[in-house]
Amino acid sequence: MKSKLLDHFSSITFVTAILLFAVWAIGVSQKINAKQEASKLKGLTDITFIDFSDPFQRALLKDALNIYYPGQYDKNDSLARAIISLKEQQFSDKLQKSHLTQALTPVKWIELIIAYAKFLIVYVIVMFLTYYGVQTIAVARFVLKKSAAQRVSSNLVGTFFTKACGLFFTFILFCPAYVIAYSIRTELNTDTIFFMILLATVSNGLLITYANKFFAFLTAESRKGYVETAIVKNLIENYRTSDPGIPWKSILSLRKRYPGHVFDHIYRNARFQYVSTLKEQASFLISGLVIIEMALNIHGHLSYEMLRQMLYKNYDIVIIIVLGIFYTVKMTEIFTDLLLYRESRKYENRTG
Amino acid sequence: MIKYKDIRWTVVWLTGILFLAAWDILFLNKPALKKVAAGFVNTFTIAVLVICITLLLGWLTALLLHFLSLRKRRTGYMAIMFILNLLRSIPQVVGILFGYILVSYLHDAGILKSAFSLFPVLAFFMSLFIFIEVVDLIRERIDHFRKLDFYNAMRVCGIPESRVVNFHILWKNSRIHIFNKLISIFGMAIFLQCSVDFIISVGLSTDVNEVSLPATLGSLLAKIDSKQDILAIGYTLTNPAYAGHLFFQHLQGISIAFLIVFSLLSIYNISNGYAERHRL
Repeated sequence: MKSKLLDHFSSITFVTAILLFAVWAIGVSQKINAKQEASKLKGLTDITFIDFSDPFQRALLKDALNIYYPGQYDKNDSLARAIISLKEQQFSDKLQKSHLTQALTPVKWIELIIAYAKFLIVYVIVMFLTYYGVQTIAVARFVLKKSAAQRVSSNLVGTFFTKACGLFFTFILFCPAYVIAYSIRTELNTDTIFFMILLATVSNGLLITYANKFFAFLTAESRKGYVETAIVKNLIENYRTSDPGIPWKSILSLRKRYPGHVFDHIYRNARFQYVSTLKEQASFLISGLVIIEMALNIHGHLSYEMLRQMLYKNYDIVIIIVLGIFYTVKMTEIFTDLLLYRESRKYENRTG
Repeated sequence: MIKYKDIRWTVVWLTGILFLAAWDILFLNKPALKKVAAGFVNTFTIAVLVICITLLLGWLTALLLHFLSLRKRRTGYMAIMFILNLLRSIPQVVGILFGYILVSYLHDAGILKSAFSLFPVLAFFMSLFIFIEVVDLIRERIDHFRKLDFYNAMRVCGIPESRVVNFHILWKNSRIHIFNKLISIFGMAIFLQCSVDFIISVGLSTDVNEVSLPATLGSLLAKIDSKQDILAIGYTLTNPAYAGHLFFQHLQGISIAFLIVFSLLSIYNISNGYAERHRL
C-alpha cells in the first residue's frame, strides 16, 4: 500500500511541477513577445500626440522619420506603416477581443475555485448515484434472471413486452448526454445543476456499461464452488422477489443485505471485485461530466470555462483547470486503493 | 432466429444502417445526404484507424514492459509504468481535446493538409488515451499464462521467449480476448470522437476561427440545422401529433443522432454477445 501511495504522490508532484512550470513559461514567453514587438518599433508605440486617423498627421510622421533617420526612406516607410497598423490593431482589439484575453487575477482564481467546488459536488453526488444504480440494476437483473430460470414462463406476450421495454430503456441510457439534452431543451431548463446530475447519471451508457460489469462479477461468483457448499449447508437459494427469496425492498435498499441467503455471499464477493473498477468508472464519469458541461455551454462551469479559455488561447487558465481535474482523478484513485486495501485486509482476516 | 447474440446484433446493426440509408435516399435532400454519408464514413474510418493504432501501441508497450521486467531493468520499467499511470489519470476527453487543438494548429500551419494525413493523426491522439486498456489486458494474459506449466515446458524445449509470448500466449490463447477488447474500443472511439467533435463545434463562438477538421457525425450534429432537428424531438414530447414530421422534415439531425446511438448500442451488444459466446 505504501508503494502505491508513494506512486500516487510522486505523480501528483511531478504533474504539478510540470504544469506550474508550463504556466510560468507561458507568462514569460508572452512578456518576451510583447517586448520584442515593442523593440521592433523602436519605442515609437507610445506617441500620444498624433491622431492616426488623420492622413495629414500620418504623412507628417513619415516626414519626421525621414528627418530623424535620413537615407533610409523604405525602412522609414515600413516602420511608419507598422506603427499605424499596430495602433489600428490595438484600437480594434480593445473593441472586439478585450473579453477574450484573460489573466490569472485573484478574481479569476475565485471564479475558478467556485466552479471547481461545483464540479466536485456534482461529481461526488453522481458517483454515489451511479455506484448505487450500477449495483441495484445488476442485482435486479441477476435476481430476475435466476427467478425466471426457476419458473417456466408461458406468457410470450409478457416476455416480449418486457424485452421491448428493456431495449427501449437501454437505447435511452446509451444516448450521449448532448443528444438527450438537446432533445428536451425546448421543454425543460437544462442549465441547472439538478439536470446535470440527472444527465450525468443516466446518459453516455455509464450506468448500463458498469451495471453489466457488476452483473458479470455476480454471474462469475455464482458459478464458484462455495455457492454449492453454502446451499448444502441449508442457506436459502430461492430467487423469488418475495419472502423467503430476495424481496424488492432489499434489492432497492442502500445497504444491501441478504442474511441467510446464498446471494449475500455472492453479492459481497462481487462487490469486493468491483471496487477496483471504481477507478475506471470515475474516469469515465469525469469524461462524461466534462462533455456535458462543454456541450450544454453552461456559463460558470469548470469544463465550459476550460473549453472557452482553450479556444481563446489563454493556456495558463486551461492548465490550472486541467490540474484541478487531474487532482480529482488522483484523489479518487487514492480513495479506491485505500478502500481496496481495507477490504482485502478484511478478507485476509488481518483487521486486527 | 440467429443463435449467437453477437452475430444477431451485427445483422441488426447492418440492417438498421441499410434501412436508414434507403430512407435517407428517398426522403433526405441531396446535399444533406452527402454530408451525412461523409460524416458516417469519416467517423468510422477514424474509429477503424484507432483500433489499429491502439492494438499496435498496446501490444508493443506490453511486450516492452514484459521484457524489461524479465531482464530486471527496473528504471526503464518504472519510467514506462509512471507514464502509463499518468495517462490513465488524464480523463480521455480532456487529452483528446488537447490533441485536437494541436491537430488544428498543424492543419492551419499547412503541415497537415489532406484528410489522409489528418485521419491517422486524429486517430493517434485518440489511441494515446485508450491503448492503456489493451496494455492491461495483454499483461494480464501474459502473467496468467506464465504461471502455468506449459510456459516453463516451452522454455525448456528451447522455444524463444518472444515466440512463446507473441504466438502461443497472445495469438493462440488470447486473440479472442483481444478481439473482444477491440470491439469495445471501437465503440469507445466512436463515442469519444463524436463527443469531442460536438463540443468543439458547439463551443466555437464567432470570436474564434472554426477548426477546419473533417466532418464527422459529432460535428454535423452540432450544426444549427441538425440541432434544430434534435430540438424538434422535445417539441414532439408535448405535441405527439408532430411525430410524423420528424421522419421527413427533420431527417438530417434525426439520422445523425440515430446513427450515433444505434451504433453505440449495437457495438455494446456485439461485444457482450461475443464475450458470452466465448465465456470470457
